[in-house]
Amino acid sequence: MFQTISIFIVLATFIGVVIHWFAFPAGPECRGGSGFVRGLVHAFSLLLIEQRNSLLGALKKLCYLLAVVCFLVLAFTGFWPLLVRGDEHISGYLMMVHATFAPIFAFCLAVLAITWASRYRFVVGDCPCVQRLLRRVTRLHVPAPEEACRCASTAQKAAFWAIVVLALPLILSIVLSMFPLFGTYYQELALAIHRWTSIAFFVAVIVHTYLAVRVRFAQ
Amino acid sequence: MIGHPQGARSSLKKGFGIALRSRLILAVVLLPVLSLAMASAQESQEAAKGLLGDESDGSRAHPTHLIPLFAEDEDGDKGAQVTPDADPLLPFSTKYTCGECHSYDVIRRGWHFNAMDETVPPGRPGEPWIYVDPKLGIQVPLSYRSWAGTIQPREFGLSEFAFTRLFGRHMPGGGPGEVKATDDADVGRQYISGKLEINCLACHNGHYGQDMGGVSGWAVQIAVRQNNRWAAAASCEFASVKGSAADMGVAYDPFMPEGGDKEPRVEYRDGAFDSDHQVLFDIVREVPNARCYYCHSDVYFSGTDEKTEKWSSEEDVHLKAGLTCVDCHRNDIHHEIIRGYPGEEEISDSRLAATTTCQGCHLPAGPNVPDAGRLGAPVPQHVGLPPVHFERLSCTACHSGPWPGEQAVFTKTSRAHRLGTPNVNKSEEMVPHILSPVFAHDGDKISPHKVIWPAYWGTRADDKVTPIALDVVERAIKAQFDKLEIPSSGTWPGISTEQIAAALKSLSQAADANAVYVAGGALYSLNEAGEVEEEADHPVAKPYMWPLAHTVRPAAQSLGIRYCTDCHATDSPFFFGKVAVDSPIASDVPATRQMVGFQDISPFYAWAFSASFVFRPWFKVIALGASAVLGIVLLLYGLKALGAVARVLAEDE
Repeated sequence: MFQTISIFIVLATFIGVVIHWFAFPAGPECRGGSGFVRGLVHAFSLLLIEQRNSLLGALKKLCYLLAVVCFLVLAFTGFWPLLVRGDEHISGYLMMVHATFAPIFAFCLAVLAITWASRYRFVVGDCPCVQRLLRRVTRLHVPAPEEACRCASTAQKAAFWAIVVLALPLILSIVLSMFPLFGTYYQELALAIHRWTSIAFFVAVIVHTYLAVRVRFAQ
Repeated sequence: MIGHPQGARSSLKKGFGIALRSRLILAVVLLPVLSLAMASAQESQEAAKGLLGDESDGSRAHPTHLIPLFAEDEDGDKGAQVTPDADPLLPFSTKYTCGECHSYDVIRRGWHFNAMDETVPPGRPGEPWIYVDPKLGIQVPLSYRSWAGTIQPREFGLSEFAFTRLFGRHMPGGGPGEVKATDDADVGRQYISGKLEINCLACHNGHYGQDMGGVSGWAVQIAVRQNNRWAAAASCEFASVKGSAADMGVAYDPFMPEGGDKEPRVEYRDGAFDSDHQVLFDIVREVPNARCYYCHSDVYFSGTDEKTEKWSSEEDVHLKAGLTCVDCHRNDIHHEIIRGYPGEEEISDSRLAATTTCQGCHLPAGPNVPDAGRLGAPVPQHVGLPPVHFERLSCTACHSGPWPGEQAVFTKTSRAHRLGTPNVNKSEEMVPHILSPVFAHDGDKISPHKVIWPAYWGTRADDKVTPIALDVVERAIKAQFDKLEIPSSGTWPGISTEQIAAALKSLSQAADANAVYVAGGALYSLNEAGEVEEEADHPVAKPYMWPLAHTVRPAAQSLGIRYCTDCHATDSPFFFGKVAVDSPIASDVPATRQMVGFQDISPFYAWAFSASFVFRPWFKVIALGASAVLGIVLLLYGLKALGAVARVLAEDE
């Protein structure tokens, strides 16, 4: 079941992103096939360290780069045996690589959470239309500026916080199972939590990356 | 008057006569057929119903066995009742004594007796019978069951009669012991010795006088005196057997004894019979552990410990908890003893086979009734153990056998080393050399095994190696090897390469084929120059392994109880313990293999995975630290968000 649902979710995510890219282009230069290529270039440019960056900025970028590499490795080693080969568990060298990169990814994630949390906090002007709706429904003094919605930016923030929230059960489910705390039932539960959370986490990361490209285009 | 004409009357009479005759003939023909059919139907009804003792009425009390004894007659049929004043005084036959109330023909199809029945699935590999001759460099696992790696006794040149003489000491009778001899040499001897019937008392006698391994007990009667017919009586508490069938000439008739001192004869103790010539047996349904132990004892040698001493060895946790062997290894009248391994239910007719395993008692199962905890079995928690272990390892991997050391140790078993019989060499190096525990993959999971490296002489044709019959080997090379001195420890005397070359030449001539020698995992043959050539790791020379399940250790003494590094360390016995490559061939450097070589796992992978556990604590620290940071960030910004909401709500007031 996990295999089927996960394949569906992963495919739906990628197809959704592509459809959204063409249905709602981030800008005029994003239209058509050339726009798609441009988008990929932008996605790649996210990995580059800009010259204007300070030392801290460069370190953050390096941390991000490391996190991306770890994410790709973890996604491959985690999903390939389960989704493609149909194994019940990851094992062998893939397991070893997975377990080696996981703590590095967790570390990078923690650093990025600290350094990006402020940037990704929700502010008054994020989604005026929702705020206006809230004010109308609740009749509270919810600040609602008369501006157009910046949906991409807001969704990117939501994706960021989704990543941070999902990272906790993702990491803890597997780390705590390594301690003599849980019996077999809870060990299996922890493993199931790890699997299902990883799929949600994967989707959140893809969406976050996609929206980062869109926001960059918008800028 | 109306009447028939004379002619018509006559023809009517004639016709009536013919009809009567036909009916009579029909009746004569049909009557026996009908009687036979009715008798057969009655018999099959009786057979279906079973005998008096085939099925319990539900009472848990022990039934008293005050019963008459019956002997076997010279035709092998049921003889007269045995009485103290009978002449000749014959040994009682279990087949006809116990068979009065228990269906012997049903019992003989049970697991302990059905090895020769080709229709019985062999099931998981078990302990073979091991023929060993240290001087001839032979150590060969034999079995009538088709366990891969064992050799059929006939293929090795052993008739059923010869096999029984060799191994009947630790058999409960039946099986090959009851096969009618066909070899010329055996026919006459078997008439004198008798068949080796199932000795029901070997298991079911609750009396302390049951003598299986004593100087005049079951084993000696079979192996030394060839008193097969007398063996069951000799083993019980109320009879003793003197004389030896082995000493009798081929013309001797045991049913017409001459009264000589050496003649096999039975004496029943005074008072054994009551006034009705019945004998009181102490029969128990629940076989005592000691009865099982006669054939199923193991001794693990771990170096300096005196492991043969019972006081210094451990007992199975189940027995210490109050269970008996037969609480798990159950059977009904069919004697299809539950062996207790996972998957047995697929080939066993026993309805309890599926639930009488480790999981059957210890783990929750069953959609309607909770099975866990049966017989007081604790439900294991396996705290901190990743579930993948249950897919890769059997329960016994962590819980059974001796705690693994740097090297698999010499292991003795009752059947291989005739433990419990007179004059056993107690040295740990006594052949055959069985090594354990060897953690090996059995096609399904990794389990601890006992291992034996086969060593035998054979012939090769088209890459197929066939053992040379024992008598041929003895005739061809015994003289050459007679000079070898067997050490007092009973280990191999050490065969040299030159001796192998000479033996191969002799055997090639004797067998008129290309002789080879299988030993130590290799195949030795002569090349064209007449030199010995070794083919290492030859498939026919690979070790025979069978899983061990006892002694079961408690949870507190299971592998992994201290930490993962009980197994996942770069020097852990589980992966990197050494297994000696046992060989009769003299060698300065004893060869060894790592356990991982038996596990279908790459040695490098096992090492690398184990090495990763060195860093695992750091991984845990980093991951937990990262989780803490993520949690704090979430908490911090969560509180901020809560503050914003609170402000909005406060402003509204």
